[in-house]
Amino acid sequence: MPELLKQRKSLQFLLLIIIFALLCLIIPQSDNNWLWRLPPLLKELPGIINGSVDYLMFEWWPIEVYDAELDDYEQKPLVREFTRSVSSVILFMIELIREILLGGVKTIVAFTSWDWATENQWARWPALPWTVVTAGAALLGYSLGGIRLALLSGLSLIYIAVFGQWEPSMQTLSFVLIAAPVSILLGLTFGVWAYKSQVVENVLNPLLNIAQIMPHFCYLIPVMVFYGIGDHAGAIATIIFATPPMVRLTLLGLKKVAPEVVEAGLMNGCNNRQLLTRVLIPTARRDILIGVNQVIMQCLAMVVIASLIGAKGLGNELLIALNRLRIGLALEIGVCIVLIAIVLDRMSLAWANKQTDYFSSQSFTERHRNLLWFLAIFVVGVVLAYAGRFIFKDGFNYLYLIPHNKGISTAEFWQAGVDWIWDTFFYTLKGFNEWLITQVLIPVKNAYLSMPVVATFTLAMGTGFIVGGVRSALIVGGFLLFIALTEWWDRALITSYLVSVAVVISGTIGVIVGTLCAQKQSTSRFILTMCDTFQTFPSFIYLIPVMMLFGVTDTSVLIAIVVYSTIPATRYTVEGLRSVPASLHDAGTMAGVNRWQRLKSIELPISFPHMALGINQTVVFALSMVIIGALIGTDDLGQLILKSLSDREGVGNGLVLGFCVAFIGLAIDQILRTWANQRKQMLGMT
Amino acid sequence: MSSTTDSARTDAPVIQCESVYKIFGNNAKRLLKQANGMVDAAEFEKAGCIVGVNNASFEVYAGEILIIMGLSGSGKSTLLRCISRLTDATDGKVFIEGENIMSMRNRQLINLRRNKMGMVFQSFALLPHKTVVENIAFPLQVKGVSTKESMQQAREMIDLVSLTGRENYFPRELSGGQQQRVGIARSLAIRPDIWFLDEPFSALDPLIRKEMQDEFLRLQGVLGKTILFVTHDFDEALRLADRIAIMKDGVIEQLDTPANIVLNPATEYVRKFTEDVPREKVLKINSVMEPVDRNLALANATVKDTAVLEDVAELILNADNPLGVVDDNGSLIGMVRSSHIINVLFGARSDQSQA
Amino acid sequence: MKLRSFKPLGAVLAAGLISLSAATGVARAADSTQPIVIPIHNWSSQIVMAYVLGGMFESMGNNVEYVPADSQAVYESIRNGDVTISHEVWQSTFGKSFYNAMQKGGVIDAGTHSATTLEEMGVPNWVIEQNLCPGLPNWEALADCHENFTTADSGGKGRWLEGPQSWHGDLMPERLEALGLADKWTVKFAGGADALWTELASAKKEGRGTIVFNWTPNFTDADGFTFIEFPEYYEGCRKSDGGDGKCGSPKGWLKKAANYKFPRTHPAAYTAFSRVDFSTKQIGEMAALVDTDKMDHKDAAKKWLADNEGVWQPWVK
Repeated sequence: MPELLKQRKSLQFLLLIIIFALLCLIIPQSDNNWLWRLPPLLKELPGIINGSVDYLMFEWWPIEVYDAELDDYEQKPLVREFTRSVSSVILFMIELIREILLGGVKTIVAFTSWDWATENQWARWPALPWTVVTAGAALLGYSLGGIRLALLSGLSLIYIAVFGQWEPSMQTLSFVLIAAPVSILLGLTFGVWAYKSQVVENVLNPLLNIAQIMPHFCYLIPVMVFYGIGDHAGAIATIIFATPPMVRLTLLGLKKVAPEVVEAGLMNGCNNRQLLTRVLIPTARRDILIGVNQVIMQCLAMVVIASLIGAKGLGNELLIALNRLRIGLALEIGVCIVLIAIVLDRMSLAWANKQTDYFSSQSFTERHRNLLWFLAIFVVGVVLAYAGRFIFKDGFNYLYLIPHNKGISTAEFWQAGVDWIWDTFFYTLKGFNEWLITQVLIPVKNAYLSMPVVATFTLAMGTGFIVGGVRSALIVGGFLLFIALTEWWDRALITSYLVSVAVVISGTIGVIVGTLCAQKQSTSRFILTMCDTFQTFPSFIYLIPVMMLFGVTDTSVLIAIVVYSTIPATRYTVEGLRSVPASLHDAGTMAGVNRWQRLKSIELPISFPHMALGINQTVVFALSMVIIGALIGTDDLGQLILKSLSDREGVGNGLVLGFCVAFIGLAIDQILRTWANQRKQMLGMT
Repeated sequence: MSSTTDSARTDAPVIQCESVYKIFGNNAKRLLKQANGMVDAAEFEKAGCIVGVNNASFEVYAGEILIIMGLSGSGKSTLLRCISRLTDATDGKVFIEGENIMSMRNRQLINLRRNKMGMVFQSFALLPHKTVVENIAFPLQVKGVSTKESMQQAREMIDLVSLTGRENYFPRELSGGQQQRVGIARSLAIRPDIWFLDEPFSALDPLIRKEMQDEFLRLQGVLGKTILFVTHDFDEALRLADRIAIMKDGVIEQLDTPANIVLNPATEYVRKFTEDVPREKVLKINSVMEPVDRNLALANATVKDTAVLEDVAELILNADNPLGVVDDNGSLIGMVRSSHIINVLFGARSDQSQA
Repeated sequence: MKLRSFKPLGAVLAAGLISLSAATGVARAADSTQPIVIPIHNWSSQIVMAYVLGGMFESMGNNVEYVPADSQAVYESIRNGDVTISHEVWQSTFGKSFYNAMQKGGVIDAGTHSATTLEEMGVPNWVIEQNLCPGLPNWEALADCHENFTTADSGGKGRWLEGPQSWHGDLMPERLEALGLADKWTVKFAGGADALWTELASAKKEGRGTIVFNWTPNFTDADGFTFIEFPEYYEGCRKSDGGDGKCGSPKGWLKKAANYKFPRTHPAAYTAFSRVDFSTKQIGEMAALVDTDKMDHKDAAKKWLADNEGVWQPWVK
């Protein structure tokens, strides 16, 4: 028997489950019983973090700073002065781009002063007419990627202008145009650094994991305390969120560069810098570009959240629209966000793939054709804008700047659509909703809450042990221990309940849809584009219709999570299946398998490890959505994270709660990743 | 155990190795010091180290093709990388034109590579994002040559390796042979004096390989570089080399001309390689000729000293008298007899098989 | 030699500096030209009022800047000086955040609007019209109508949909307990205001009963909303203040907050700001311009300023 037990993992699992069930039955539910719940020894931690941050920001190392406003010297802490100067640099860059697009006075103020700008009211930077920006974007699209990209970017900007979202869109754009490049640069830098130094990689890895899983709300308050409120704060929060995947993919790409290519670079006489910029990074381009794509998607996914700490633009408009339940308007704004994401993504891709022709001898006009075209566009646009002043008498010059919310709107149509959905489906769904809540969700939730802490540890660490040995067991245990020692273990259980139900649903949907779509090239491409769209489409928008249909209940929360977390499950399934080598297909065909057999016995087993990583990402996505769930109304960790925005000890509470969420994810990550890696090694795929 | 080199050479070697060691592992340096030059691979392995190159010493002279031949794991590529300093040798000295490359600063090394060295790789190692012409111009651009000038030179290289018309292709759009032509062109772009080739034709189909070898000989005929060539293919080595170094487990077993290696294998290991070699294809007349014996009448025909035996065997065997051997200038430097040829080609082999 | 030749230049510079600082010293009577940062939250009256105040400050020659901000987190920003003012501090929703920030230092109380607010549990009017709970708005009616207010996850009890827990903690659960209604009613915390409005909208479509947390003045006033009349509030009646908890919400204040430096940097603007005083009716008007007349917030503010010169001109004088 023991021999058998050693070999058969399924038996080990069975034994583990039996022990787990016994523990659940034996241990009584009582507050004083440590086997039931651990004492909250880490209760003071948020306060300590808070105190340290306060000390750092408001007391440590004060320096004398002259305040021109008060005409007086003030004691200001060093850290604060430092972070605020970072803020002002970022803000300056954002404002610079914004004022080129929309006009304004901040850039002029930056070089003079408010006093001067107030005295000289003529010194205002005019906006570029929207016609110029739109035609310019189309031109840029054309020069980078031909007529298709030109159409895409031109039409997208026309949509934005015509629907009266020009101003907020350009505000969002100006902020993304800083946040994305900074994220990309930071990501590259850290990725390269980690590539060069194993130590850095080891340090970065857990940090990246945490940054990726931690709900973005958790670092809103710290960012606000350190960097203030405004577009720069939004940009910084966005950068924190968007950089980790870039670091990851850079490192991945660099590691894949063949050693001979590096040697070739060296033998060609590259110095270190040349080797990096002209050999390593370009060769790792495929993965790095996926990183760039991810950065852009993440940046636009953060637009709404960033507006909570001062980023102007579409995110803010969206929140306002939703607060008045104007779903149609919100939808139009959401489409603007997605369009910006897609245009930026395609443009950056086209730019990276651009070729130069060295041999055609070109005349001056040919070489500077694009510039000349732009000048022509500029002149025509300005003339049109000037003419517009005489055409439109009611004060809005539609050829210069279409004012916010003065465009056409299809909001009524969408509103009617939402009403129609309600009228058609509500009563059917109501029954389903009640069944789901009373028969599934509440029992599962209660089951989670009735687990003694010892049983939970046994199950989690046991699974870790079976999959990855003592090391995995200890890592998983360590993560859980942190959570168990805070006062939020019960809430963490509720979060886990929501996440596990969501992951089961998302995983099922994702694997099925992904498998079906992966059968054909065209459907694969389609579904991957859909994944991109849903990843940037602000989840806030569908919260309202979902809540209308399912009420303020866990069902709504679940649906919100599932919509988002199905993305990676689908994406990884498609990618996994598509990457099965053609030779194996042929081998299968020659062995006479039919389509279903091929899928079952060749494709699925081969792509299974990759799909497991997809499930891993599903968990991460689901966890990052708990905060959105909190916006509907839950009693889990998310609710407290939301609450930390107004807490006295908001920084500490927010961060510790964020760690709790991240650690749930890391524990699961540890088990799934170890398993997937073992499996890959077994299949010889590393 | 290395064998004699042609000590006749008096000019300074272009490349010179003195007791080069490369040992992988954590405390390689310390262990090497303890061993005091007497490295035993098995013992080192016990200590967790792997011996890549074990006490390699040789010279390469201007215009010479030296081929390092060995099976995989024999340390041949490692030795090449020690000489080009892509890896740092654990101990020993490597002189390039009299300068010790091991003690060079990074800047000097880069300068050397930018002006003196070119290298071709087994997997081509082209930059996937650059077109043919950009790849070839790359070493020039790295050096700081202007775009226009570098494109001009790259075009010349393209013509040299017969890829004209494919300037703007990407590597992925080319066949293996074409890709390696790009690799060759790139390594020659800076017009190096020293040319390293690391199994350049191993990844190619046999037919293409033959074609590329011819191409290589043609190029060398035009360019006359100093060449260090690594291969695992003994036939290739015999075909191309001026001299061959045969490596096993990091040690150079024998270093000699192809003919001498075939005729006088220094070790059992080398002998195994030479057994199946068709000698007529390897041996040149100058390795089998005898001094002119004035007592014998020579036939009317003569053969050149550099002719391969295979090509002239019929002529020699059909002649009644010994043939005179002439050098490039046409002066008589020796003679060949059919009986001797038969002995070399067949007799020696039966000796060996009995032995 | 060189040094000496610099001396007169130095003297001139110093003199210049002194005169410059003297000039700014004189200018101190006027406001600084640094922009006044006004936060924008996500409900109509607040946004319109932000632009109204902005328009007022601008008419006084001040520079103004608007920044979107979370309505809870904004007090931390005022404290740090990143935001200058907040003009709608609702007692029960933001009182806690406001006092927390004040306690830490950096925020000052810039006076109170005459508008009183009421934040309380209530029902949309159709609930009363359809007689889903006979006897409302008197709270005692709740004793036997909870069946009409159950939801799938309320476990057979009637459900109160309260605002996020961050607004007033466990006030409502404690009140249910104190009033002896806890066995018939349960409290669900919504995640945000959106959730409340969605609940109202969907309950209206379905025609079912719902009890939600709401406040006035608010845009829901237009559709008709009745607050439940609980026993009258008195100082100290709440559980958290040591009372028995058997009381409703007080008529709440609506305050204005400002960064502590604001009076010194912009004395005139601060004086005007401290005079600003809106009534419930005026706030309702501002919200209606957007919510009912579907105007853009900025346009609504312009219209309000144009229509009500008599109201705000005296404040800025």
